[in-house]
Amino acid sequence: MSISTGPIASGSASSTSTWSALSPVARRNLRQILLAVVLPVLVIVLWQWAGNGGSLFGGVLPTPDRVWQAWKVWAFGTSGLGLNPYSGTWLANLLFSAERVGKGFLAAIVVAVPVGLAIGWNRIASGALDPTVQLLRPIPITAWLPFSIAVFGIRDMGAVFLIALGAFYPIVVNTAQGARDIERNLVRAAMMMGAGRWTILRRVVLPASLPSIFTGLRIGLGIALTAVIVAEMVAVKSGLGYVLWDAYYVGRMDVVIADMATIGLLGLISDRVILGIERWVLAWRRLQSFQS
Amino acid sequence: MGTIAFENVSKTFSGQTEVRALEAINLAIGEGEFVALLGPSGCGKSTLLNLLAGFEKKTEGTLLFDGKTVTRPGPDRGVVFQEAALFPWLTVWQNVIFGPQVQGVSRSEYELKARNLLKLVGLESFADALPVQLSGGMRQRVGIARVLAMSPKALLMDEPFGALDAQTRLSMQQLLLDVWQSLGTTVLFVTHDIDEAILLSDRICVMSARPGRIIRTIPITLPRPRSIASLTSTEFVAYKARIMSDMKVSAAPV
Repeated sequence: MSISTGPIASGSASSTSTWSALSPVARRNLRQILLAVVLPVLVIVLWQWAGNGGSLFGGVLPTPDRVWQAWKVWAFGTSGLGLNPYSGTWLANLLFSAERVGKGFLAAIVVAVPVGLAIGWNRIASGALDPTVQLLRPIPITAWLPFSIAVFGIRDMGAVFLIALGAFYPIVVNTAQGARDIERNLVRAAMMMGAGRWTILRRVVLPASLPSIFTGLRIGLGIALTAVIVAEMVAVKSGLGYVLWDAYYVGRMDVVIADMATIGLLGLISDRVILGIERWVLAWRRLQSFQS
Repeated sequence: MGTIAFENVSKTFSGQTEVRALEAINLAIGEGEFVALLGPSGCGKSTLLNLLAGFEKKTEGTLLFDGKTVTRPGPDRGVVFQEAALFPWLTVWQNVIFGPQVQGVSRSEYELKARNLLKLVGLESFADALPVQLSGGMRQRVGIARVLAMSPKALLMDEPFGALDAQTRLSMQQLLLDVWQSLGTTVLFVTHDIDEAILLSDRICVMSARPGRIIRTIPITLPRPRSIASLTSTEFVAYKARIMSDMKVSAAPV
């Protein structure tokens, strides 16, 4: 008895002391992470446990270990004979999708930010552009698919067009809102100091609108990811969306699920990238007062 | 330089219900004079200042600055706002040089001046700080420095110390007295604080509300240079008693 309780007691004592040795902030963070991990781990364990001979629902849904195996082959290939068409193509397809999102998203920013600023800042531009934007906005990007294929064919351009269009709306709407909501005295101050309309737009309205522009960027990115998957399923022959649909057709649900996880990962990483840029660009909003 | 003339100026805000904000304002301010507009909130004193700043357009009358009709804002009339209205994404230094910069003044011309101004308002060690990092009083010091960086002919100040705590307000009033004493710029100063108006100005225009008009003009002949010590002098108290009775008259029919 004493032999078996000894290590346990000392073990728990040492873990308690490590826990209390952590700073309150570190402890809170650790608790947050532990809490966050519980549900996904539980789902995966249950999913694995419910699987019968490697799959659920009569062979439709592979268990997590099968998905993991499929993902490894997809990512790193197999040493044996390569009959698996997905073998070792993970990174290439991830990059195809990421590149399309990047191109389309950049195109959306380049057009939507100036247009949004113009709509929010200039009454004539608002009257001329806003109704058209509002008229086209209710058309879901998925409805643009046939149009996009007809115009651009089964090529990259079609996917980039859909992504840019999807990301355009939230960016333009949020940018316009930011420009519209600018504090009146900031504009007055700039006018008082002799700034012309163009200078005010560039040096006052644009920076003041940045917080809402970034809100638009983050929403736009989510739509860009939807658009890339839809476009690749139908309009091109590479990328995560293409693999997703292709794997489904040949009954490779393990690859389908690995692909879905990869899309999630791509979304998470790109959102973090934007968040990081936002924190850097908008550092002036987060600093604390010297006084309080 | 820096003369101001309101001749029968009126202002009506149009909208669902028209608001007569100012009625037949006549006010002439000479070069280097310090004039306070004193009145309850809603009496149109900020509107009067905004007309002169060029932020709003008068409905009737003639409004001249240095003999020329005011049409739009400009660096000859430096405005100090109640909440400072600094650009929050620019540092203190960048805020101060914004005016000279957008006017195309070369760096060598404005740099020394801007440094001296920061020293004058006691913020030389905060040049790289951002507005959010400053207290209300410090922000207002930047607001004053950035206006002075343009060497305006007149300062238009819209309740600039209204949001500050009592102690900070006193030190800001002292600062403004010192700055004005050395620069001699024309100042139009909007306030609802009787003490502040007496302490700072050469002349107080007491305003009444709806429609806003100047009901009384009181010259303040307290000796210059003044300091916050003047606040307790017997002459000061006499002025205050008189103005308080004036303002009660205008506030009677509610």
